[in-house]
Amino acid sequence: MAEVTFDYGGRVALVTGAGRGLGFATAKTLHQAGATVAVNDRTAESCQAVIARLGGGPRLIAAPADLATTDGPVQAVAQATANGRLDFLINNAAVNVERPIAATDDAHWDQHLSVILRASFLTVQAALPFLRSSRGCIVNIASELGLHAIANNVAYVSAKHGLIAMTKAMAIELAPSGIRANAICPGTMDTELMQECARDSGDPESYYAAFNRYHPIGRLATPDEVAAFVLCLLSPAAAYMTGAAVAIDGGSTAGRL
Amino acid sequence: MTEFAGKTILVTGSTRGIGAAAARLFLERGGSVILHGRRQADVDAAVARLSTTYSGRVRGLSADLSDRTACRALAASIETLDVLVNCGGIFHEAAIAETSPTLWDETVAVNLTAPWVLAQSLLPKLRASRGAIVNVASDAALLGYAGCVAYCASKGALVGLTRALATELTPDVRVLCVCPGPTETDMMRASISVAPDRDKARQQWASYTLLNRVASPVEIGEAILLAASPRASYLTGSLIMADGGATAGKRV
Ligand SMILES: NC(=O)c1ccc[n+]([C@@H]2O[C@H](COP(=O)([O-])OP(=O)(O)OC[C@H]3O[C@@H](n4cnc5c(N)ncnc54)[C@H](O)[C@@H]3O)[C@@H](O)[C@H]2O)c1
Repeated sequence: MAEVTFDYGGRVALVTGAGRGLGFATAKTLHQAGATVAVNDRTAESCQAVIARLGGGPRLIAAPADLATTDGPVQAVAQATANGRLDFLINNAAVNVERPIAATDDAHWDQHLSVILRASFLTVQAALPFLRSSRGCIVNIASELGLHAIANNVAYVSAKHGLIAMTKAMAIELAPSGIRANAICPGTMDTELMQECARDSGDPESYYAAFNRYHPIGRLATPDEVAAFVLCLLSPAAAYMTGAAVAIDGGSTAGRL
Repeated sequence: MTEFAGKTILVTGSTRGIGAAAARLFLERGGSVILHGRRQADVDAAVARLSTTYSGRVRGLSADLSDRTACRALAASIETLDVLVNCGGIFHEAAIAETSPTLWDETVAVNLTAPWVLAQSLLPKLRASRGAIVNVASDAALLGYAGCVAYCASKGALVGLTRALATELTPDVRVLCVCPGPTETDMMRASISVAPDRDKARQQWASYTLLNRVASPVEIGEAILLAASPRASYLTGSLIMADGGATAGKRV
Protein backbone atom coordinates (compact mmCIF):
# COMPACT_ATOMS: atom_id res chain seq x y z
CA MET A 1 0.00 0.00 0.00
CA ALA A 2 1.22 3.50 -0.81
CA GLU A 3 2.35 5.32 2.30
CA VAL A 4 0.64 8.59 3.10
CA THR A 5 1.71 10.19 6.33
CA PHE A 6 -0.15 12.57 8.56
CA ASP A 7 1.00 14.62 11.50
CA TYR A 8 -1.59 14.73 14.23
CA GLY A 9 0.77 15.85 17.01
CA GLY A 10 -1.12 17.74 19.72
CA ARG A 11 -4.48 16.39 18.57
CA VAL A 12 -6.72 14.25 20.76
CA ALA A 13 -8.91 11.48 19.32
CA LEU A 14 -11.50 9.13 20.78
CA VAL A 15 -11.95 5.82 18.98
CA THR A 16 -14.85 3.70 20.19
CA GLY A 17 -14.71 -0.07 20.04
CA ALA A 18 -10.94 0.07 19.66
CA GLY A 19 -10.35 -3.35 21.21
CA ARG A 20 -9.79 -5.04 17.89
CA GLY A 21 -10.56 -4.88 14.20
CA LEU A 22 -10.90 -1.52 12.47
CA GLY A 23 -11.13 0.34 15.79
CA PHE A 24 -7.77 -1.01 16.86
CA ALA A 25 -6.23 -0.28 13.45
CA THR A 26 -7.54 3.30 13.59
CA ALA A 27 -6.27 3.87 17.13
CA LYS A 28 -2.88 2.45 16.13
CA THR A 29 -2.61 4.57 12.98
CA LEU A 30 -3.65 7.75 14.77
CA HIS A 31 -1.16 7.05 17.55
CA GLN A 32 1.60 6.50 15.00
CA ALA A 33 0.66 9.85 13.46
CA GLY A 34 1.36 11.56 16.77
CA ALA A 35 -2.15 11.95 18.15
CA THR A 36 -3.17 11.33 21.72
CA VAL A 37 -5.66 8.51 21.47
CA ALA A 38 -8.43 7.64 23.90
CA VAL A 39 -9.15 3.96 23.52
CA ASN A 40 -12.71 2.88 24.23
CA ASP A 41 -13.88 -0.69 24.54
CA ARG A 42 -16.35 -2.51 26.73
CA THR A 43 -13.90 -3.38 29.50
CA ALA A 44 -10.94 -1.75 31.20
CA GLU A 45 -8.86 -4.90 30.56
CA SER A 46 -9.46 -4.69 26.85
CA CYS A 47 -8.53 -0.99 26.77
CA GLN A 48 -5.36 -1.70 28.77
CA ALA A 49 -4.46 -4.55 26.42
CA VAL A 50 -4.67 -2.18 23.45
CA ILE A 51 -2.59 0.42 25.25
CA ALA A 52 0.04 -2.21 26.04
CA ARG A 53 0.07 -3.40 22.42
CA LEU A 54 0.67 0.18 21.31
CA GLY A 55 3.58 0.56 23.74
CA GLY A 56 1.91 2.64 26.46
CA GLY A 57 2.90 6.20 27.30
CA PRO A 58 1.19 9.52 27.93
CA ARG A 59 -0.47 9.68 24.51
CA LEU A 60 -2.78 6.78 25.27
CA ILE A 61 -5.88 7.15 27.44
CA ALA A 62 -8.12 4.32 28.56
CA ALA A 63 -11.80 5.18 28.11
CA PRO A 64 -13.65 1.97 28.96
CA ALA A 65 -17.45 2.06 28.85
CA ASP A 66 -20.23 -0.17 27.63
CA LEU A 67 -21.75 1.92 24.87
CA ALA A 68 -24.95 -0.10 24.90
CA THR A 69 -25.89 1.57 28.19
CA THR A 70 -27.37 5.05 28.57
CA ASP A 71 -24.41 6.42 30.52
CA GLY A 72 -21.66 4.56 28.63
CA PRO A 73 -21.21 7.04 25.77
CA VAL A 74 -20.99 9.99 28.18
CA GLN A 75 -18.48 8.12 30.33
CA ALA A 76 -16.31 7.32 27.32
CA VAL A 77 -16.24 10.98 26.30
CA ALA A 78 -15.62 12.16 29.87
CA GLN A 79 -12.52 9.97 30.14
CA ALA A 80 -11.28 10.99 26.70
CA THR A 81 -11.65 14.69 27.47
CA ALA A 82 -10.12 14.62 30.95
CA ASN A 83 -7.46 17.03 29.65
CA GLY A 84 -10.08 19.38 28.23
CA ARG A 85 -9.53 18.72 24.57
CA LEU A 86 -10.98 16.61 21.78
CA ASP A 87 -10.32 17.00 18.05
CA PHE A 88 -11.51 13.77 16.51
CA LEU A 89 -14.38 11.46 17.37
CA ILE A 90 -14.47 8.12 15.56
CA ASN A 91 -17.65 6.17 16.23
CA ASN A 92 -16.57 2.66 15.33
CA ALA A 93 -18.03 0.31 17.94
CA ALA A 94 -20.62 -2.10 16.62
CA VAL A 95 -22.06 -5.54 16.96
CA ASN A 96 -23.03 -7.56 13.93
CA VAL A 97 -24.84 -10.82 14.52
CA GLU A 98 -26.79 -12.22 11.58
CA ARG A 99 -30.33 -13.35 12.36
CA PRO A 100 -33.35 -14.10 10.21
CA ILE A 101 -36.39 -11.91 10.84
CA ALA A 102 -38.23 -14.50 12.90
CA ALA A 103 -35.29 -14.96 15.28
CA THR A 104 -34.61 -11.24 15.76
CA ASP A 105 -35.80 -10.70 19.33
CA ASP A 106 -35.98 -7.46 21.29
CA ALA A 107 -32.59 -7.93 22.94
CA HIS A 108 -30.91 -8.44 19.57
CA TRP A 109 -32.67 -5.44 18.01
CA ASP A 110 -31.89 -3.18 20.97
CA GLN A 111 -28.24 -4.20 21.18
CA HIS A 112 -27.62 -3.30 17.52
CA LEU A 113 -29.62 -0.10 17.62
CA SER A 114 -28.03 1.12 20.83
CA VAL A 115 -24.38 0.37 20.07
CA ILE A 116 -24.47 1.48 16.43
CA LEU A 117 -26.95 4.36 16.41
CA ARG A 118 -27.83 5.63 19.87
CA ALA A 119 -24.28 5.53 21.24
CA SER A 120 -22.97 7.38 18.18
CA PHE A 121 -25.50 10.11 18.83
CA LEU A 122 -24.75 10.33 22.54
CA THR A 123 -20.95 10.48 22.11
CA VAL A 124 -21.31 13.35 19.65
CA GLN A 125 -23.67 15.16 21.99
CA ALA A 126 -21.27 14.77 24.92
CA ALA A 127 -18.26 15.73 22.80
CA LEU A 128 -19.91 18.77 21.23
CA PRO A 129 -18.45 21.50 23.50
CA PHE A 130 -14.94 20.15 22.88
CA LEU A 131 -15.46 19.71 19.14
CA ARG A 132 -16.78 23.26 18.94
CA SER A 133 -13.64 24.71 20.45
CA SER A 134 -11.28 22.54 18.40
CA ARG A 135 -13.41 22.90 15.23
CA GLY A 136 -13.14 19.15 15.26
CA CYS A 137 -14.15 16.31 13.10
CA ILE A 138 -16.48 13.31 13.40
CA VAL A 139 -16.13 10.08 11.44
CA ASN A 140 -18.90 7.54 11.82
CA ILE A 141 -18.02 4.04 10.70
CA ALA A 142 -21.10 2.89 8.84
CA SER A 143 -21.00 0.01 6.36
CA GLU A 144 -21.90 -0.82 2.80
CA LEU A 145 -24.97 -2.19 4.58
CA GLY A 146 -25.88 1.43 5.30
CA LEU A 147 -26.25 1.84 1.53
CA HIS A 148 -27.94 -1.40 0.54
CA ALA A 149 -29.16 -4.54 2.29
CA ILE A 150 -28.53 -8.25 2.59
CA ALA A 151 -30.93 -10.80 4.06
CA ASN A 152 -30.75 -12.02 7.67
CA ASN A 153 -29.32 -8.83 9.12
CA VAL A 154 -32.30 -6.55 9.64
CA ALA A 155 -31.16 -4.86 12.86
CA TYR A 156 -27.66 -4.12 11.58
CA VAL A 157 -28.87 -2.86 8.18
CA SER A 158 -31.45 -0.58 9.80
CA ALA A 159 -28.95 0.81 12.31
CA LYS A 160 -26.25 1.48 9.69
CA HIS A 161 -28.72 3.23 7.37
CA GLY A 162 -29.77 5.35 10.35
CA LEU A 163 -26.15 6.16 11.12
CA ILE A 164 -25.65 7.60 7.64
CA ALA A 165 -28.80 9.72 7.89
CA MET A 166 -27.70 10.87 11.34
CA THR A 167 -24.28 11.83 9.94
CA LYS A 168 -25.91 14.03 7.31
CA ALA A 169 -28.15 15.76 9.87
CA MET A 170 -25.13 16.40 12.08
CA ALA A 171 -23.07 17.68 9.16
CA ILE A 172 -25.77 20.20 8.28
CA GLU A 173 -26.37 21.34 11.84
CA LEU A 174 -22.68 21.58 12.73
CA ALA A 175 -21.30 23.05 9.49
CA PRO A 176 -21.69 26.63 10.76
CA SER A 177 -19.58 25.68 13.81
CA GLY A 178 -16.76 24.41 11.63
CA ILE A 179 -17.29 20.82 12.71
CA ARG A 180 -17.24 18.26 9.91
CA ALA A 181 -19.10 14.94 10.10
CA ASN A 182 -18.64 12.16 7.57
CA ALA A 183 -19.42 8.47 7.36
CA ILE A 184 -17.46 5.73 5.70
CA CYS A 185 -19.08 2.60 4.37
CA PRO A 186 -16.59 -0.26 4.40
CA GLY A 187 -17.22 -3.45 2.53
CA THR A 188 -16.01 -6.65 4.15
CA MET A 189 -12.78 -6.29 6.11
CA ASP A 190 -10.49 -9.10 7.03
CA THR A 191 -10.77 -8.61 10.80
CA GLU A 192 -10.76 -11.04 13.71
CA LEU A 193 -14.52 -11.16 13.39
CA MET A 194 -14.24 -12.39 9.78
CA GLN A 195 -11.62 -14.94 10.75
CA GLU A 196 -13.89 -16.26 13.50
CA CYS A 197 -16.84 -16.51 11.10
CA ALA A 198 -14.67 -18.25 8.51
CA ARG A 199 -13.50 -20.74 11.12
CA ASP A 200 -17.05 -21.35 12.36
CA SER A 201 -18.25 -22.00 8.82
CA GLY A 202 -16.16 -25.19 8.78
CA ASP A 203 -14.82 -24.36 5.32
CA PRO A 204 -12.78 -21.16 5.64
CA GLU A 205 -11.49 -21.35 2.08
CA SER A 206 -14.85 -21.25 0.33
CA TYR A 207 -16.12 -18.79 2.98
CA TYR A 208 -13.40 -16.34 1.98
CA ALA A 209 -13.78 -17.13 -1.72
CA ALA A 210 -17.47 -16.19 -1.61
CA PHE A 211 -16.69 -12.86 0.04
CA ASN A 212 -13.85 -12.16 -2.38
CA ARG A 213 -16.22 -12.71 -5.31
CA TYR A 214 -18.80 -10.41 -3.73
CA HIS A 215 -16.37 -7.49 -3.91
CA PRO A 216 -15.48 -6.65 -7.54
CA ILE A 217 -11.90 -5.82 -6.51
CA GLY A 218 -11.61 -9.52 -5.69
CA ARG A 219 -10.35 -9.38 -2.12
CA LEU A 220 -11.36 -8.16 1.31
CA ALA A 221 -10.22 -4.82 2.70
CA THR A 222 -7.50 -4.72 5.31
CA PRO A 223 -8.34 -2.78 8.47
CA ASP A 224 -5.13 -0.79 7.98
CA GLU A 225 -6.13 0.55 4.57
CA VAL A 226 -9.56 1.56 5.87
CA ALA A 227 -7.93 3.21 8.91
CA ALA A 228 -5.63 5.11 6.55
CA PHE A 229 -8.70 6.48 4.82
CA VAL A 230 -10.16 7.56 8.15
CA LEU A 231 -6.99 9.58 8.73
CA CYS A 232 -7.45 11.17 5.29
CA LEU A 233 -10.95 12.24 6.25
CA LEU A 234 -9.63 13.84 9.44
CA SER A 235 -6.94 15.74 7.53
CA PRO A 236 -7.01 19.15 5.82
CA ALA A 237 -7.09 17.20 2.53
CA ALA A 238 -10.74 16.58 3.37
CA ALA A 239 -11.42 20.09 4.67
CA TYR A 240 -14.27 20.58 2.18
CA MET A 241 -15.92 17.24 2.93
CA THR A 242 -18.85 17.06 5.24
CA GLY A 243 -22.03 14.98 5.29
CA ALA A 244 -20.56 12.42 2.92
CA ALA A 245 -21.09 8.67 3.14
CA VAL A 246 -18.07 7.30 1.34
CA ALA A 247 -18.15 3.72 0.12
CA ILE A 248 -14.84 1.96 0.61
CA ASP A 249 -16.14 -1.42 -0.45
CA GLY A 250 -14.10 -2.71 -3.38
CA GLY A 251 -16.91 -1.69 -5.74
CA SER A 252 -19.60 -3.68 -3.98
CA THR A 253 -22.28 -0.97 -3.99
CA ALA A 254 -21.23 0.34 -7.41
CA GLY A 255 -22.67 -2.54 -9.41
CA ARG A 256 -22.74 -6.24 -10.22
CA LEU A 257 -19.71 -8.12 -11.48
CA MET B 1 -62.57 2.14 -8.72
CA THR B 2 -62.29 -1.21 -6.99
CA GLU B 3 -58.57 -1.84 -7.13
CA PHE B 4 -58.45 -2.82 -3.45
CA ALA B 5 -61.75 -4.73 -3.29
CA GLY B 6 -61.46 -7.69 -0.95
CA LYS B 7 -58.19 -6.41 0.50
CA THR B 8 -57.60 -5.51 4.12
CA ILE B 9 -55.24 -2.64 4.81
CA LEU B 10 -53.89 -1.52 8.16
CA VAL B 11 -52.77 2.11 8.19
CA THR B 12 -51.05 3.19 11.38
CA GLY B 13 -51.38 6.81 12.39
CA SER B 14 -54.52 7.22 10.29
CA THR B 15 -56.74 9.40 12.45
CA ARG B 16 -55.26 12.47 10.75
CA GLY B 17 -52.63 13.70 8.33
CA ILE B 18 -51.13 11.53 5.61
CA GLY B 19 -52.43 8.30 7.16
CA ALA B 20 -56.03 9.59 7.19
CA ALA B 21 -55.75 10.66 3.54
CA ALA B 22 -54.34 7.28 2.53
CA ALA B 23 -57.03 5.42 4.49
CA ARG B 24 -59.78 7.38 2.73
CA LEU B 25 -58.24 6.63 -0.68
CA PHE B 26 -58.03 2.90 0.11
CA LEU B 27 -61.72 2.98 1.05
CA GLU B 28 -62.67 4.93 -2.10
CA ARG B 29 -61.00 2.19 -4.12
CA GLY B 30 -62.81 -0.67 -2.50
CA GLY B 31 -60.50 -1.70 0.34
CA SER B 32 -61.37 -2.61 3.91
CA VAL B 33 -59.37 -0.42 6.24
CA ILE B 34 -58.22 -0.82 9.81
CA LEU B 35 -57.65 2.66 11.13
CA HIS B 36 -55.17 3.16 13.91
CA GLY B 37 -54.37 5.91 16.36
CA ARG B 38 -52.86 6.30 19.79
CA ARG B 39 -56.08 7.31 21.58
CA GLN B 40 -59.23 5.21 21.35
CA ALA B 41 -61.44 8.32 21.26
CA ASP B 42 -59.65 9.63 18.15
CA VAL B 43 -59.95 6.24 16.51
CA ASP B 44 -63.66 6.02 17.30
CA ALA B 45 -64.22 9.48 15.86
CA ALA B 46 -62.31 8.62 12.67
CA VAL B 47 -64.22 5.37 12.26
CA ALA B 48 -67.52 7.19 12.79
CA ARG B 49 -66.60 9.83 10.18
CA LEU B 50 -65.88 7.23 7.49
CA SER B 51 -68.53 4.64 8.41
CA THR B 52 -71.39 6.69 7.00
CA THR B 53 -69.94 6.37 3.49
CA TYR B 54 -68.00 3.12 3.81
CA SER B 55 -70.12 1.16 6.22
CA GLY B 56 -68.89 -2.36 6.94
CA ARG B 57 -65.40 -1.68 5.58
CA VAL B 58 -63.94 0.47 8.36
CA ARG B 59 -62.85 -0.49 11.80
CA GLY B 60 -60.30 0.90 14.19
CA LEU B 61 -57.70 -0.12 16.73
CA SER B 62 -55.73 1.97 19.17
CA ALA B 63 -52.19 1.34 20.35
CA ASP B 64 -49.29 3.45 21.56
CA LEU B 65 -46.61 2.84 18.93
CA SER B 66 -43.83 3.53 21.42
CA ASP B 67 -44.98 0.44 23.31
CA ARG B 68 -43.89 -2.83 21.68
CA THR B 69 -46.28 -4.93 23.72
CA ALA B 70 -49.16 -2.77 22.49
CA CYS B 71 -47.91 -3.14 18.89
CA ARG B 72 -47.81 -6.91 19.26
CA ALA B 73 -51.29 -6.98 20.77
CA LEU B 74 -52.55 -4.89 17.88
CA ALA B 75 -50.98 -7.29 15.38
CA ALA B 76 -52.45 -10.29 17.19
CA SER B 77 -55.96 -8.85 16.97
CA ILE B 78 -55.82 -8.77 13.17
CA GLU B 79 -56.88 -11.97 11.39
CA THR B 80 -56.00 -11.40 7.78
CA LEU B 81 -54.01 -8.63 6.19
CA ASP B 82 -52.99 -7.68 2.66
CA VAL B 83 -51.22 -4.38 3.21
CA LEU B 84 -49.44 -2.89 6.20
CA VAL B 85 -48.86 0.84 5.93
CA ASN B 86 -46.50 2.09 8.62
CA CYS B 87 -47.46 5.73 8.63
CA GLY B 88 -47.50 6.63 12.32
CA GLY B 89 -44.58 8.82 13.23
CA ILE B 90 -43.42 11.68 15.42
CA PHE B 91 -41.34 14.75 14.73
CA HIS B 92 -39.88 16.99 17.39
CA GLU B 93 -37.46 19.73 16.56
CA ALA B 94 -34.41 19.77 18.80
CA ALA B 95 -30.78 20.67 18.20
CA ILE B 96 -28.19 17.99 18.91
CA ALA B 97 -27.38 19.52 22.29
CA GLU B 98 -31.06 19.71 23.24
CA THR B 99 -32.07 16.20 22.18
CA SER B 100 -32.59 14.32 25.44
CA PRO B 101 -32.06 10.57 25.55
CA THR B 102 -35.81 10.29 26.16
CA LEU B 103 -36.62 12.25 23.01
CA TRP B 104 -34.13 10.15 21.06
CA ASP B 105 -35.60 6.90 22.36
CA GLU B 106 -39.18 7.92 21.77
CA THR B 107 -38.46 9.04 18.21
CA VAL B 108 -36.64 5.80 17.36
CA ALA B 109 -39.32 3.71 19.09
CA VAL B 110 -42.22 5.20 17.16
CA ASN B 111 -40.59 5.88 13.77
CA LEU B 112 -38.45 2.74 13.49
CA THR B 113 -39.09 0.07 16.08
CA ALA B 114 -42.89 0.11 15.76
CA PRO B 115 -42.75 -0.49 11.98
CA TRP B 116 -40.28 -3.28 12.62
CA VAL B 117 -42.36 -4.93 15.36
CA LEU B 118 -45.55 -4.66 13.31
CA ALA B 119 -43.86 -6.06 10.20
CA GLN B 120 -42.38 -8.94 12.14
CA SER B 121 -45.61 -9.76 13.98
CA LEU B 122 -47.83 -9.48 10.93
CA LEU B 123 -45.47 -11.37 8.65
CA PRO B 124 -47.29 -14.73 8.67
CA LYS B 125 -50.50 -12.96 7.62
CA LEU B 126 -48.74 -10.91 4.94
CA ARG B 127 -47.00 -14.01 3.59
CA ALA B 128 -50.30 -15.85 3.45
CA SER B 129 -51.86 -13.06 1.38
CA ARG B 130 -48.67 -12.39 -0.61
CA GLY B 131 -49.13 -8.86 0.59
CA ALA B 132 -47.14 -5.67 0.81
CA ILE B 133 -45.58 -3.42 3.41
CA VAL B 134 -45.38 0.31 2.79
CA ASN B 135 -43.19 2.29 5.15
CA VAL B 136 -43.67 6.03 5.21
CA ALA B 137 -40.28 7.62 5.80
CA SER B 138 -39.35 11.14 4.74
CA ASP B 139 -37.04 13.05 2.45
CA ALA B 140 -35.13 13.55 5.73
CA ALA B 141 -34.05 9.92 5.41
CA LEU B 142 -31.75 11.04 2.60
CA LEU B 143 -31.29 14.74 3.32
CA GLY B 144 -29.85 16.03 6.55
CA TYR B 145 -31.83 18.81 8.19
CA ALA B 146 -30.52 20.88 11.07
CA GLY B 147 -32.41 20.66 14.33
CA CYS B 148 -33.97 17.24 13.98
CA VAL B 149 -31.15 14.73 14.25
CA ALA B 150 -33.26 12.03 15.93
CA TYR B 151 -35.95 12.30 13.27
CA CYS B 152 -33.43 12.10 10.41
CA ALA B 153 -31.69 9.09 11.99
CA SER B 154 -34.97 7.25 12.61
CA LYS B 155 -36.22 7.84 9.06
CA GLY B 156 -32.89 6.86 7.52
CA ALA B 157 -33.04 3.65 9.54
CA LEU B 158 -36.59 3.08 8.26
CA VAL B 159 -35.21 3.09 4.72
CA GLY B 160 -32.70 0.45 5.87
CA LEU B 161 -35.52 -1.55 7.43
CA THR B 162 -37.41 -1.38 4.12
CA ARG B 163 -34.44 -2.69 2.17
CA ALA B 164 -33.61 -5.40 4.69
CA LEU B 165 -37.20 -6.65 4.78
CA ALA B 166 -37.49 -6.53 0.99
CA THR B 167 -34.29 -8.53 0.62
CA GLU B 168 -35.38 -11.20 3.04
CA LEU B 169 -39.10 -11.44 2.19
CA THR B 170 -38.83 -11.61 -1.56
CA PRO B 171 -40.80 -12.88 -3.45
CA ASP B 172 -43.59 -13.40 -0.90
CA VAL B 173 -44.03 -9.85 0.34
CA ARG B 174 -43.13 -6.64 -1.46
CA VAL B 175 -41.71 -3.94 0.80
CA LEU B 176 -41.59 -0.31 -0.24
CA CYS B 177 -40.84 3.05 1.23
CA VAL B 178 -42.65 6.25 0.41
CA CYS B 179 -40.63 9.33 1.32
CA PRO B 180 -42.84 12.40 1.61
CA GLY B 181 -41.35 15.83 1.40
CA PRO B 182 -42.88 18.71 3.38
CA THR B 183 -46.61 17.98 3.69
CA GLU B 184 -49.36 20.18 5.09
CA THR B 185 -50.37 18.14 8.16
CA ASP B 186 -50.59 18.80 11.88
CA MET B 187 -46.96 17.70 12.12
CA MET B 188 -45.91 20.58 9.89
CA ARG B 189 -48.45 23.02 11.36
CA ALA B 190 -47.07 22.34 14.84
CA SER B 191 -43.58 23.12 13.67
CA ILE B 192 -44.71 26.29 11.88
CA SER B 193 -46.79 27.45 14.85
CA VAL B 194 -43.72 27.76 17.07
CA ALA B 195 -41.66 29.60 14.46
CA PRO B 196 -41.03 33.31 15.11
CA ASP B 197 -42.26 34.20 11.58
CA ARG B 198 -44.88 31.71 10.42
CA ASP B 199 -45.11 32.84 6.81
CA LYS B 200 -41.38 32.63 6.50
CA ALA B 201 -41.38 29.17 8.09
CA ARG B 202 -44.02 27.93 5.63
CA GLN B 203 -42.10 29.38 2.69
CA GLN B 204 -38.91 27.77 4.07
CA TRP B 205 -40.55 24.32 3.94
CA ALA B 206 -41.80 24.96 0.41
CA SER B 207 -38.39 26.17 -0.71
CA TYR B 208 -36.83 22.79 0.02
CA THR B 209 -38.75 21.38 -2.96
CA LEU B 210 -38.39 21.92 -6.70
CA LEU B 211 -42.14 22.48 -6.96
CA ASN B 212 -41.73 25.27 -4.38
CA ARG B 213 -44.80 24.23 -2.42
CA VAL B 214 -45.72 21.81 0.32
CA ALA B 215 -47.73 18.69 -0.51
CA SER B 216 -51.31 18.00 0.45
CA PRO B 217 -51.76 14.74 2.38
CA VAL B 218 -53.77 13.32 -0.52
CA GLU B 219 -50.80 13.69 -2.86
CA ILE B 220 -48.73 11.50 -0.52
CA GLY B 221 -51.66 9.14 -0.06
CA GLU B 222 -51.66 8.55 -3.83
CA ALA B 223 -48.01 7.50 -3.69
CA ILE B 224 -48.80 5.11 -0.83
CA LEU B 225 -51.64 3.58 -2.83
CA LEU B 226 -49.42 3.13 -5.84
CA ALA B 227 -46.86 1.31 -3.70
CA ALA B 228 -49.57 -0.95 -2.26
CA SER B 229 -51.26 -1.61 -5.56
CA PRO B 230 -50.90 -4.77 -7.65
CA ARG B 231 -49.98 -2.35 -10.43
CA ALA B 232 -46.67 -1.97 -8.60
CA SER B 233 -45.96 -5.71 -8.83
CA TYR B 234 -42.37 -5.16 -9.98
CA LEU B 235 -41.57 -2.62 -7.28
CA THR B 236 -39.88 -3.89 -4.16
CA GLY B 237 -37.19 -2.49 -1.88
CA SER B 238 -37.45 0.86 -3.57
CA LEU B 239 -38.00 4.38 -2.42
CA ILE B 240 -40.81 6.39 -3.90
CA MET B 241 -39.70 9.96 -3.41
CA ALA B 242 -42.96 11.89 -3.06
CA ASP B 243 -41.03 15.00 -2.20
CA GLY B 244 -41.70 17.59 -4.88
CA GLY B 245 -38.17 17.01 -6.10
CA ALA B 246 -36.48 17.85 -2.80
CA THR B 247 -33.92 15.07 -3.14
CA ALA B 248 -33.48 15.53 -6.88
CA GLY B 249 -31.90 18.94 -6.78
CA LYS B 250 -31.75 22.34 -5.20
CA ARG B 251 -33.18 25.62 -6.38
CA VAL B 252 -30.33 28.11 -6.08
N1 LIG C 1 -15.59 -6.23 9.50
C1 LIG C 1 -16.24 -5.84 8.43
O1 LIG C 1 -16.20 -6.51 7.41
C2 LIG C 1 -17.03 -4.57 8.43
C3 LIG C 1 -17.69 -4.17 7.27
C4 LIG C 1 -18.39 -2.96 7.25
C5 LIG C 1 -18.44 -2.18 8.36
N2 LIG C 1 -17.81 -2.58 9.49
C6 LIG C 1 -17.87 -1.71 10.65
O2 LIG C 1 -16.56 -1.37 11.07
C7 LIG C 1 -16.54 -1.21 12.48
C8 LIG C 1 -15.50 -2.12 13.08
O3 LIG C 1 -15.78 -3.47 12.75
P1 LIG C 1 -14.80 -4.67 13.12
O4 LIG C 1 -14.87 -5.66 12.06
O5 LIG C 1 -13.53 -4.08 13.50
O6 LIG C 1 -15.60 -5.28 14.38
P2 LIG C 1 -15.04 -6.07 15.66
O7 LIG C 1 -16.15 -6.89 16.15
O8 LIG C 1 -13.77 -6.73 15.34
O9 LIG C 1 -14.76 -4.87 16.66
C9 LIG C 1 -15.81 -4.14 17.24
C10 LIG C 1 -15.32 -3.47 18.49
O10 LIG C 1 -16.41 -2.78 19.09
C11 LIG C 1 -16.44 -3.08 20.47
N3 LIG C 1 -17.79 -2.99 21.02
C12 LIG C 1 -18.88 -3.74 20.72
N4 LIG C 1 -19.89 -3.43 21.53
C13 LIG C 1 -19.44 -2.47 22.36
C14 LIG C 1 -20.03 -1.77 23.44
N5 LIG C 1 -21.29 -2.02 23.84
N6 LIG C 1 -19.29 -0.86 24.09
C15 LIG C 1 -18.01 -0.62 23.71
N7 LIG C 1 -17.40 -1.26 22.71
C16 LIG C 1 -18.11 -2.18 22.05
C17 LIG C 1 -15.91 -4.50 20.55
O11 LIG C 1 -15.44 -4.78 21.85
C18 LIG C 1 -14.79 -4.47 19.51
O12 LIG C 1 -13.59 -3.99 20.04
C19 LIG C 1 -17.94 -1.49 12.95
O13 LIG C 1 -18.66 -0.28 13.03
C20 LIG C 1 -18.51 -2.35 11.85
O14 LIG C 1 -19.91 -2.30 11.81
C21 LIG C 1 -17.10 -3.76 9.55
